[in-house]
Amino acid sequence: MSPRVLLLLFLRRWHTRIGLAAVVFFLFLAVTGVVLNHAAELGLDNRHVYASWLARWYGISAERPRHAFRSGGHDLIAANGRWVLDGRLSGEKFPPPIGLVELADMVVVASSTSLYLYGKDGVLIDRLERNALPGVPVQAIGAGASQLILRTASGTFESSDALSWKRAPRDAIAWSSPADLSAAEGERYAQMLEPGVSVQRVLLDVHSGRFAGRYGPLVVDLLAVFLSVLSLSGAWLFFKRKHRRERH
Amino acid sequence: MIRAARSPLAVLALALALVAPAARSEVYQEPAAFITEVFGLLPAPKVLWLTKDLQAQAAAILGHPPAQLRQRYWSDARRSVWILEETGKEELITAGFVVADGRIDHVRVLVYRESRGQEVRQSSFLKQFKNAKLAPGDRLDRDIDGIVGATLSVGAMERMARLALLFDRISHG
Repeated sequence: MSPRVLLLLFLRRWHTRIGLAAVVFFLFLAVTGVVLNHAAELGLDNRHVYASWLARWYGISAERPRHAFRSGGHDLIAANGRWVLDGRLSGEKFPPPIGLVELADMVVVASSTSLYLYGKDGVLIDRLERNALPGVPVQAIGAGASQLILRTASGTFESSDALSWKRAPRDAIAWSSPADLSAAEGERYAQMLEPGVSVQRVLLDVHSGRFAGRYGPLVVDLLAVFLSVLSLSGAWLFFKRKHRRERH
Repeated sequence: MIRAARSPLAVLALALALVAPAARSEVYQEPAAFITEVFGLLPAPKVLWLTKDLQAQAAAILGHPPAQLRQRYWSDARRSVWILEETGKEELITAGFVVADGRIDHVRVLVYRESRGQEVRQSSFLKQFKNAKLAPGDRLDRDIDGIVGATLSVGAMERMARLALLFDRISHG
């Protein structure tokens, strides 16, 4: 048997073996690649996976909820950029709250630079950022005589609608303050408020191999080499066969 | 194994944070300054409550329910100013829209938080909205040319423009 035929047989055998061995990985890379290409349309950047093992895998240390803000029949617990207001979970990237007050027709949560106004049913009415506040940072939030009251670095202000503000008298204000959670409550809310990792990030890391740590990308690199070998050997086999047919 | 993998991931995350363009807020103009520029002073805000019908109309434009039920705006006899926020790819874009006589007078990107796509703040892009009005179906009466690499931010700007025009129409009763 001539060396050329031997080479042809060798290539054909290894072309098949590599193709079969890598077919699952190639399909996986293709599917994750297509999904990532349409991540925005699929809303993957806004979807999160909440699992303690995943957070640990990513080295995200979970913040444990320790306090609750309570006013009337409402309560707010926060950790890991997420809030639970009256049992309802917020989205991601919420600021650490500094207090909660209940007014006649709304519940107001303050962070140091923003106010979140909720209806009694927990639906967000309005979010006011620093430009719409009488001063920042907000140091405390309270209520007095049906008015919402903010203590800021520039003074103490009151408003009935969180639209127009005027300086507030400093007496008879019930300031919101944190209350400690019991161990059982802490455990329950810690589970509810686990830190999330976006689906898009997980998919991207799985696709690139980074999810597996240091050697993951090397495995994907190796697959890329296999794919190159398959392409080249496939092309060579194809042209070789075509060339042979033309000679006959 | 987990411990071994965690460390490289943390290093990788740090490296990416250092190398990749960071997703940070670019405040081009404070909203209050934009409103003051339009009216010459900062008027008291007015409020548009999003009724069920209006929520449905806004949701049809945005492709998701509106984030809040109370929309603040500022207006005089002829013009209204709407400070709106919409997600581009992952982060909110804050833009100011001035509407006069049912048409967009001008638009400005006030805060941009995405790591790419800042081209939507350029006047060559924003001038496309000049004099745009709502066509049937709450669409703009014109096509807005996209920007390569900023498709989602362009989409967000277009949705906000439609929303500003809708809110302006509703606010006039």
